[in-house]
This record gives sequence, structure tokens and C-alpha cells, in this order.
Amino acid sequence: MLQLERVREEKQLMRQSNTLRPYLNAVRATLTAALTLENFSSQVVERHNKPEIEAAASPEVLLHPLTVSRNESERVLIEPSVNSIRLSIAIKQADEIEKILCKKFTRFMMMRAEGFVILRRKPIAGYDISFLITNFHAESMLKHKLVDFIIQFMEDVDKEISEMKLSLNARARIVAESYLSTFA
Amino acid sequence: MILLESHNTIIQDVLTDRFERPSRADIQFVDYDNVRFHLSTQEAKTVLLLSMSIQCWPDLAKYGAREHLQEVYGSLLLGEGETEPEYQVSIRIDLEALPEGPEDRAELISKLSHLKSTTMSAPFLAAFSEQSSLQANFKDAAGAQQSDLGGQGGEKKGDLKIIKYREEEAIFIQASHDRVTVIFSTVFKEETDRVYGRVFLQEFVDARRLQSLQSAPQVQYSNREPPLEIRHLPGLKNGEDWGYVTFILSPRHFSNPATAQSAINRIQLFRDYLHYHIKCSKAYMHSRMRHRVAEFLKVLNRAKPEVAVAERKTASGRTFRTR
Amino acid sequence: MAEYAFRKIDIDALDEDTLLREDLVEPDPRGPDGVLADAKRKSGEVRTAVAQNNIAGALAAILSDPPYGADVDEARALTISALQLILNSTRSSEIAATLKNLTPEQQDHLMSYLYKGMAGLGSKSGAGGEVSGSVLLTWHEKLTEVAGVGCIVRVMTDRRTL
Repeated sequence: MLQLERVREEKQLMRQSNTLRPYLNAVRATLTAALTLENFSSQVVERHNKPEIEAAASPEVLLHPLTVSRNESERVLIEPSVNSIRLSIAIKQADEIEKILCKKFTRFMMMRAEGFVILRRKPIAGYDISFLITNFHAESMLKHKLVDFIIQFMEDVDKEISEMKLSLNARARIVAESYLSTFA
Repeated sequence: MILLESHNTIIQDVLTDRFERPSRADIQFVDYDNVRFHLSTQEAKTVLLLSMSIQCWPDLAKYGAREHLQEVYGSLLLGEGETEPEYQVSIRIDLEALPEGPEDRAELISKLSHLKSTTMSAPFLAAFSEQSSLQANFKDAAGAQQSDLGGQGGEKKGDLKIIKYREEEAIFIQASHDRVTVIFSTVFKEETDRVYGRVFLQEFVDARRLQSLQSAPQVQYSNREPPLEIRHLPGLKNGEDWGYVTFILSPRHFSNPATAQSAINRIQLFRDYLHYHIKCSKAYMHSRMRHRVAEFLKVLNRAKPEVAVAERKTASGRTFRTR
Repeated sequence: MAEYAFRKIDIDALDEDTLLREDLVEPDPRGPDGVLADAKRKSGEVRTAVAQNNIAGALAAILSDPPYGADVDEARALTISALQLILNSTRSSEIAATLKNLTPEQQDHLMSYLYKGMAGLGSKSGAGGEVSGSVLLTWHEKLTEVAGVGCIVRVMTDRRTL
């Protein structure tokens, strides 16, 4: 029974990864296009240099925000500006368990945002996790590898959440069976 | 360790040790559900006093816990007057009057280390005996007037026993002619516990479909609303955080004293078992996330170009150390 | 705390020189009514072209001079629904060939509409609800192959909201 479930889940994963590929390709292309950043000092406050997408003080340096979506629940919002881009990901959450696992996982990551230089400490409304890439990050890191990171993150986070869910179910089953089997 | 042990390991270890080599002791320790123990030598090195404080003692006493303890521990149990202050049960063990054979000693130790579960089993045993008398009456009724038996005979039920084993949570036990119903109310303090708890409880319900577990007690669970049996009670909480688990024990689960005792030991730890495994899953998820996040960090660090650090030297050939 | 209220005043809004979002784009020279008439005519053209299986012609028609700017919502909705018709009735094997025949400007407009469609998918408001995500993603993939990343950059930088 458990094995059957697992096979079914795996098949579903395989089928997903077929439609996953164009989705990730679209994100990759869009992100590559958006990662054209340059140093830009604030026009509003002298001697300040802040991510314009966050400050949102000068409309002329903000570009068209683009959304790439696979379905209602999985989408990526890329908001470019002259010196920074903000990338927000909505992760698939099919049920209550996935929702709580996703919340836990993103929270866990965001508490370690110090290590993930480009991670935003708080997601923007409607999304589960946000990244903020500034020109300084783009200067100190290789652009294509940054894109690779985002793509890999998106790939793995789904996989991780469904694996965690499977393991939770498997554990619950074993726990229940071994408890009930003691009543003879 | 999947299953929890029903005995108290500390009592077992300490007593095994003290039976061999008597020495002074003054140990306070705890068990599940806010149970406190105190093991001390007050009069002499060879006289151990084991006292237990249990939160739901008033409930248990009502269902004959003291009588049951008296039956199990006999003369070891101290009367109410002699019980250590702040505790509800005291047992006096004279190390100079121990049984001789190693097997007898082991049995005594096991009996003592089951102090908590023995105390807790009083209401269960009461319900079991109520069930058998109800069953006997039911059969009589069935023989006397078979025609209008219908629902009325089935309606007859034993007392609903309530044991408030934790501050907010309680066990409800009710006997009827063909079964004993045990209901746990449990609270999930945070959302994660609630979601995990639901997964676990659902598996308890589903697991019985397995061929090998057909003989296990039937399990039902409901959240938000208490089950019908106890719905009339005042002061029941309902809400997202509350779960009600119902076990239906049929007579075969307590047909002989040994199976009855093991069923009781198992079932009174149900709440602790459930919460223990919820905590374990959370810990496992946490370690998984830790691992995965470390992997992500590695991927991100690949984006940083490697800067070759050339060793810089002064004219005389000495090197700088960067701090 | 009343004496601190002045700190919250957005003085930039009072400044006459402040650059506003609307100042960045020239309004459509056709005016709202002209745009609407145009859009109606074009969506008619598209329907006949699609009926005759002339996908390339339909695409070219709808993607030249699309409505943009504020207060052209009706024309915009017409154009989008016409475009959705095209997207849904094109066979995936024909997409690449169709895209190659478009001018760069038309490709940019198409890309812009694709993103718009995907945004509508997420917001559930129904703006792009009739095309499924996978269709949009297929088009996006093919279009990126043909027109390159530059096409996406031009969509981002275009001040005219299609």
C-alpha cells in the first residue's frame, strides 16, 4: 500500500517535471534578462545607495514587473529596476501538510538570510519566499551561477516538500501500526 | 524506540541497584502527565520510601485506585495517614525483608516500576468489570424477552468515568454491554502539531484496514467537535486545536487479566505516544531542512568566483598575516 | 503627537517638478476612441483569419499597433481575447515557423502579452484565464528561442503598458 502510494507519487513527480522544464526555462530566460544591473545612487537622498526596487522612490528607474506562472499556485514574480531585482516565488501547496511544511521550510531559510546573501528576510505579500539581488551581488558573483542557484532552488524545494510529506506519512503509518499491533 | 515503555526506568534502575547494595537515596523525578516521584531513605539505609504525586488522584480515588493499589502492593502500601506530605501514594520497601529468589525480586521491581500505570489502571479495570456485568444482564434480558429487545437493551451503559490526567486534557471511559469506549481529549498547542497530529490520527484510523490488525481496537478521531458519547458534558472545548480520539475496546482485549493489563498500559500512554512521535517528526524535519539549506548554500557559494590569494611578501622575504 | 505629523507629509508630492509615472509615456496618438475602433476592427480580422487557418496573418494583425496607456481597458480586453484565440488555435509544431515571420516589434508585443497572460493566471482575476499555463509557457519558450533574451529586456523596459 505504502509502496503503491510512493510509485504513484513518483509518477506524478515525473509528469510534473515534464511541464516543469518550460516553466524553469521561462524563469531562467526572464531572470537572465532582468539581471542587467548597474550601480545607481539614490536620487532622493544624497549619498545613499539603496535598492531602487525596495525604495520605490523614483518611478523612472523601475521597470515592468514580469510574472512567470505555471498554474494558479506556482508562479514567480520578477520586479526589475536599475540597480536591483526582486524575485518572489510562490511554491505549490496542495494541502494543509504541504502548506505547513512550506511555511516551516521558508521560515527556516529566511532565518538564515545572513548566509544567503541574496535572500530577502520577508517574502512580499502573496508569495512564499523572496530574493533581492542588487548590483553589488551581481558584481561579486557570477551571473549565470546566480541564475543556476535560483533554478536549482525552485527545483529542489518542491522535491523536498513532497519528500518530507511522504516521510511524515510513512512515519505516521509505522507508528500507528506498531501501536495497534500490541493489542492482540 | 517506537513504543514507549510503560514502566518507569528510573525506579527500575535505582531499585535494582539498591536491592544489591543498600545506600542512602533522596531522588525526585517525574513521569509523563505531570507525575512526580520521590524516592528516599528516611528512617534507615535499608528502608526505601517511594512516593508518587499524580494530578488526577481525586478522580482515580473515586474509581477505587487505593483499593486496587492495596491489592497489588499489599502491605508495602502505606495508609493515608502515613503517606508522605504533598504526595498521594507512598510505598515502604524494607530491604531487609526482600524475597530471596532473583526472579521474585525482579518481579517486585517490575511491580514497583509500574506504580504509575497500576494507579491509572483502576478506572479501566472498573469499566471492564462493569462491562462484564452489563453483558451478563444483557444476555438475561435477551433470553427473557427477545422480541422487544431492539435498541433499549443496547442503550444501557455504565458510568462515564472522567480522568483529568493533564491540566486541560482528559480521558473518558464508558462501559456498555459489548464494549468499553475510551475517549482521549488532547490539545495541539501549535499549528504544526495540529497538522501533524491529524496525519497521525488519520493513519491510526486507516491502519485497522490491514488484515493483520483486524483484531486491534477500532479507532475514531474527530477534531473541532467532541464525539457523541461525551457531547453532553459541560466545559468541553472545541476548536481547531482540539482532538478527540476514541478507542473501542471489545471484550477480547481484556478477556484475561494479563491482556487487560497490557491493553491498559498501552492505552494510557496513547497521548504521550502520539505527542512523542509528533515531536520526533518535527525534529526529523528540522534536521532535513538543516541539511537541505546547507546544500542550497553550497550551490549559492558556487556563484562566488574563487579569488586566488597570492602570498605577498616584503622585500626581505617575510610574509604578512591577514587577520 | 500632532506636532510631529508634518514629518509624515510627502513633500515630493507637492513639488511641481516631481516625475510622475504618467509623464514617462506619450499617450497613444489615436486617442481612446480611435484605439477602440482599431481594436474592434482587428479582432474581427483575426476571427476571419483564424477561421481561414491563417495564423501568421492573424498574429501580425493583432500585434501591430496594439492599444496601450491608461483608459483603453475595453480595447485592451478585446485585443487580449483575440490573441488568446490565436494562441489556443495554433498547433505547437507551427509555433516556431509562425514566430520567425514576425517583425522584432511584433515579437516584443507578443512577449509582453505572454507575460500579461501569465500574471493573469496567478491573480485568478480572469485576465488571462482562458489560456492554460502550459500553452503560454510553450509559446514563451519558442519565442525566446527565436527572439532571444533581448526581447524580454525590451518588454521590461517598455514604458507603454500593453
